[in-house]
Amino acid sequence: MGSDGVVFDAGPLNLVDRVTLERQFDRLLAANGPALTRLAASYTNTAGDRDDLLQEIALAIWQALPRFRGESSERTFLFRIAHNRAISYLARVRSQPPSVEEWEVHDPSPNPELGLAREQAAARLRAAVHRLPVAWRQVVTLTLEGLGYGEIAEVLGISESNVGARLSRARQMLREALENKK
Amino acid sequence: MNIDAELDVWRRQWQSGVEPVPPDLLRKVELQSRFMKIAFAADILVTAGIGGGVIALAVRSPKPDILLLAIVTWLFIFAAWTFSLTVNRGTWSPAALDTASFVDLSIRRCRARLAAVRFGTVLYLSEIAFCLGWIYRHAPQNRPSLLAWLVFSSLFIDMVWMCTLAFFAFLFWYRRKKRAELAWLLDLQRQISEPRA
Repeated sequence: MGSDGVVFDAGPLNLVDRVTLERQFDRLLAANGPALTRLAASYTNTAGDRDDLLQEIALAIWQALPRFRGESSERTFLFRIAHNRAISYLARVRSQPPSVEEWEVHDPSPNPELGLAREQAAARLRAAVHRLPVAWRQVVTLTLEGLGYGEIAEVLGISESNVGARLSRARQMLREALENKK
Repeated sequence: MNIDAELDVWRRQWQSGVEPVPPDLLRKVELQSRFMKIAFAADILVTAGIGGGVIALAVRSPKPDILLLAIVTWLFIFAAWTFSLTVNRGTWSPAALDTASFVDLSIRRCRARLAAVRFGTVLYLSEIAFCLGWIYRHAPQNRPSLLAWLVFSSLFIDMVWMCTLAFFAFLFWYRRKKRAELAWLLDLQRQISEPRA
């Protein structure tokens, strides 16, 4: 078992394997980059910190990839590493959640009022998610990325019923947070 | 609000943020852009050097053969520039700063490079045929037959064939590399455009 909680199958790499791995790594990052960026953003306060965490996650994926045996889906594999890295990051920097205003971004869409309202609603949600306790935040971010109970349970190493319970409580907290911000 | 509908709204809001381009793809495209600029500058230098050289030669000794050399050289240069400007149109920068646009740009660049390989093959063969014919015509009177002259008759001819061999070996390798890259990029584009299961 690796430091990121992924089942490994250790073995030497030849040149062909390395090229295959590089392609697999590029493909995984290209396909999951936005989701990993959002995940990194939910644990950090600034774009710089987000990029640093994202780089740490990418490095961890690269290190774990040669020993990935395919016992879980690639997405589960990626998010498991990403979440473990994010937790290590939180433990290191003791991040504080940002204010809603820090999330708010001007949206230059053709309908500025609608675009801005939409962007502000998204910003409020991101800020509210960011304020959740880590255990609930993990479940919410994975749910919002489209993972099912089974996948989330696999990523976080908890039971599916625990996922359901956490999600239910997290949604209640989110609802309250969003109502208070209106 | 229905519980699942609420989750759907949140999911859309959560995923609506600007999607940054993956760093590896960004770095690759930036590197290609830099290389394209260097290649463009090199094309200008080659045009100035060879094109200017044949014009200077034609001005200094305006014989019909030299004039023919100058005209044909400039025809090759014109063909190369026309192709280069046409094939590179729309490949200098992405349409937007998102992953899909960067992948689309990489695909267009890859296709342009593959077209350049085909054009380069035809252009090189045409240039070699013209240049060797022109040199043979100006070879000493006691020259061997054209076929004998072309088959390793001098160090110069040896060098021409060795360069040609090296050039085509490079083209073959480059074409394989670009075709593999194109297949990978098209697969990536498909994955990005299709909703995940």
